[in-house]
Amino acid sequence: MIEIDGITKRYDGTAVVDNVTMTIAPRTVTVIVGTSGSGKTTLLRMINRLVEPSAGAIRLDGDDNRSMPGYELRRRIGYAIQGHGLFPHRTVAQNIATVPVLLGWDKARIDAKVAELLALFQLDPAIFAARFPHELSGGQQQRVGVARALAAEPKVLLMDEPFGALDPIIRAKAQADLLDIQKLLKTTIVLVTHDMDEAFHLADKIAVMDKGELVQYGTPAELVTNPATEFVQTLIGASERPFRLLSIETAGQAVEPGTADGQPVDAATSQRDVLSELLWTGRDALPVAAADGTLLGKVTLEGLARRAARPQ
Amino acid sequence: MVIALLVAYGTLVAPFATFRANRIVPGEAKSILAALPVSAGVVLLGLMVVAAAIILLKTPALLRLAAAAVSLGAIALFIGLTATYLTPPENTYARVSPASGFWVLLFAYALLAADSITRLRPRPGVRVLLLIATLAGATAILVSGLWDGLSILKEYAGRADVFWLEAGRHVALALGSLFASVVVGLPLGILCHRVEPLRAGVLNTLNLIQTIPSIALFGILIAPLGWIAVNVPGAAAIGIRGIGAAPAFVALFLYSLLPVVANTVVGLAGVPREANEAARGIGMTDRQRLFGIELPLAMPVILTGIRIVLVQNIGLATIAALIGGGGFGVFVFQGIGQTAMDLVLLGAVPTVVLAFAAAIVLDALIEMNTPSQNRGRTA
Ligand SMILES: Nc1ncnc2c1ncn2[C@@H]1O[C@H](COP(=O)(O)OP(=O)(O)OP(=O)(O)O)[C@@H](O)[C@H]1O
Ligand SMILES: [Mg+2]
Repeated sequence: MIEIDGITKRYDGTAVVDNVTMTIAPRTVTVIVGTSGSGKTTLLRMINRLVEPSAGAIRLDGDDNRSMPGYELRRRIGYAIQGHGLFPHRTVAQNIATVPVLLGWDKARIDAKVAELLALFQLDPAIFAARFPHELSGGQQQRVGVARALAAEPKVLLMDEPFGALDPIIRAKAQADLLDIQKLLKTTIVLVTHDMDEAFHLADKIAVMDKGELVQYGTPAELVTNPATEFVQTLIGASERPFRLLSIETAGQAVEPGTADGQPVDAATSQRDVLSELLWTGRDALPVAAADGTLLGKVTLEGLARRAARPQ
Repeated sequence: MVIALLVAYGTLVAPFATFRANRIVPGEAKSILAALPVSAGVVLLGLMVVAAAIILLKTPALLRLAAAAVSLGAIALFIGLTATYLTPPENTYARVSPASGFWVLLFAYALLAADSITRLRPRPGVRVLLLIATLAGATAILVSGLWDGLSILKEYAGRADVFWLEAGRHVALALGSLFASVVVGLPLGILCHRVEPLRAGVLNTLNLIQTIPSIALFGILIAPLGWIAVNVPGAAAIGIRGIGAAPAFVALFLYSLLPVVANTVVGLAGVPREANEAARGIGMTDRQRLFGIELPLAMPVILTGIRIVLVQNIGLATIAALIGGGGFGVFVFQGIGQTAMDLVLLGAVPTVVLAFAAAIVLDALIEMNTPSQNRGRTA
C-alpha cells in the first residue's frame, strides 16, 4: 500500500504538486493523467524520492519512505521511463541484472532471474541476452527496460509514460503484456500517461492532476459517470463517454443467455471492441466463448447500448 | 594517380641520395642509377615501375598494400646500399644521406599504405599489429647494420649514449606531463561537469594558457620556479629549477590540461540523459553512476583528448631542449647550430615516429571503447 499524505513540491515558491493526498491499494494499477506540466512526473518521482517533497509524507506499507537512504529505497521500487533509459554500453543481460548486482545477489540467482524475465517478456535469451540496446527494436528496448525495473522483484513499479515512444500496434501489445505480468507478479503499478485510452485500458483507479492539484481520484467508471470538474469532463471527452464506459468492462461481463450466429468473441475482449465488431459486421448479436472455447452465451447490440447509456 | 606521379617524380627526376665529402659541405646529388651498382639500380627502377602500374590500375586494396610494403622495404634496403657503394673505402668523413627522391618515394608509399589500410578497414587490434610489424622491420634493418653507412646513423654512432639518454628524457617528459594532466584534469573535468558555475571559468582560463606561445610560457615559468627552488626547502633537491626539465614539464602539463578537461566535460555532457535518469531511478549512488555509467560512456571522448595531448606533447617536448630540458630537441637545436642537417634528422625522425605510433595506438584504443561502431562492423 502506498499512502500519499498531504504531499507538496514547490520550485521557487510555486507549488507544482500541491497538497496531494491519495491511497494506492496493493496489487492494483493506478494511472496518473493530466495535461503537460500538471505535476504528474513530479508526484511519481516523490514516491521513490528522485524528488524530495517540500511538505507532507509518503508511506510504503506503513513505513515513511525517508526511513532509509534514497538509493536503497529506489532499489526496492521498480522504475521505468519513456525511451527506456537502457545503458548503451551494457548488454541486455547486464542491463537487466543491474539492480540485483547492486543488491549483491549471487551469480546463479542473477542468471536465473535474467533468463526468467527474458522468457516472460518473450525475448529468447539465446538471441537477446548478449545483444546491446542499439541492436534491439524500440518495442524490444522498452520490454527490456520494464524487465530491468522488475529484476529485483519490487512490490511497487513506477512507470513514467513507458509506452510513449511506441507505435500504436506495439503499444497495444505492450499494454496487454503489462496487465498479464501485473496479474502474475501481483505488482502495485503507478503509471503516468497522456493517453486517455491507455488510462482506461490499464487502470483500476485513475488520478487526474490539474495545475499541481489532484482533482479527482476514482475508478474509470466513476470518472465517466461523475466527473468532479469541468476539466475532468474535457479530459475524458464528452463524445467519448459511452465508449469509455464500454472499454472498461469485458464481453464476459455483458453475457446474456442464448446463442447467436457468427465467429465467437473472446470473453476477455473489451465491450467496446465487441460493439465495434457488431457494427462492422452488421449483426445485432455475437456468441461469446471462454478462453478454453466453451460457449458462454451472447452479447447483443441492445445490451451494449443499455450499458453505454448514462447511469440513472 | 597523384601517388603514381609522386613515384615517377621520385624515381626519375629527383636525386635518390646525396654524397658529401664531409658532414657540412654542400652535397652532390645522385640519381638512382648513379647512386647504386648498375644491377641494383635496374632492379630498383623495375620495382618502381611495377609499383606505379599497380597504383594506376584498379587493383584490390590488399595488393596495393602489399606493393606499398614491398616498395617501402626496397627503398629502405637500397638506400643502405647506396651508402656502402658511394662511400670510398676507409673514408670516415664522407657522408651519404637520402635525398629528395628518397623522401618523395617514402612519402608516396606511406600514403599508398595508409590509403589501402583505410580501405581495408582493419580492426583496431590488426592496426596495432601492422604498426608493430613496421617498427619491427625498421628495427631489424637498423640492427642488421645495413643503414650504418648513412649519415644519420653516423651521427648516431658518435653519440649513442646521449641519444638513448635524451630519448628517455623525451618520453619521460611527454608521458609524465600527460600522466600528471590526466590525474589532475580528469577530476577537474568531473568537477566542472557537476558544478556548473565552475565550468566557464576553468575552461576559459585553460583556453588562455593554450594561447600562450610555448617559448613565452617557458620564459614566464622561469621566474616562479626559480623562486620556488630557492625558497621552498627540498624543492631544488627534487629537481625544481628555473630552467631545465621542471619548467618544460610544467608547461607541457599546462598545455595538456585544456584537452583533458574540455574532453572530459564534453564526454560527460554527451551521456544520454535517460541513461543517467534511469541509473538514479533504479538506485545507483552518485559514485556508482559516475564509474559505472558516466565515465565508461564518456571514455571515447576522453581518450580522444588524451590522444591529442600525447601527440602534442611528443612534438612540444622537442622545444624543452631550448631551456635545457633535454629530449630529442637537443639534437635538433645542435644540428641547426652546426648546420648539420643529419643531426637535425636524428632528433626529428624519432619524434615523428613516436608521435605517429602513439596516434595509431590511441586511435585503436578509442575504437575499442566505442561499442556501437565495433559491433556494427562485425555484425
Ligand atoms: N527541477 C525543477 N525545477 C523547477 N521546476 C521544475 C522542475 N521539475 C519540474 N518543474 C516544473 O514543475 C511542473 C510540473 O512538472 P512535471 O514534470 O511534474 O509535469 P508533468 O505533468 O510530468 O508534465 P509532462 O506531461 O509534460 O511530462 C512544470 O511546470 C515544470 O516546469
Ligand atoms: Mg512528465
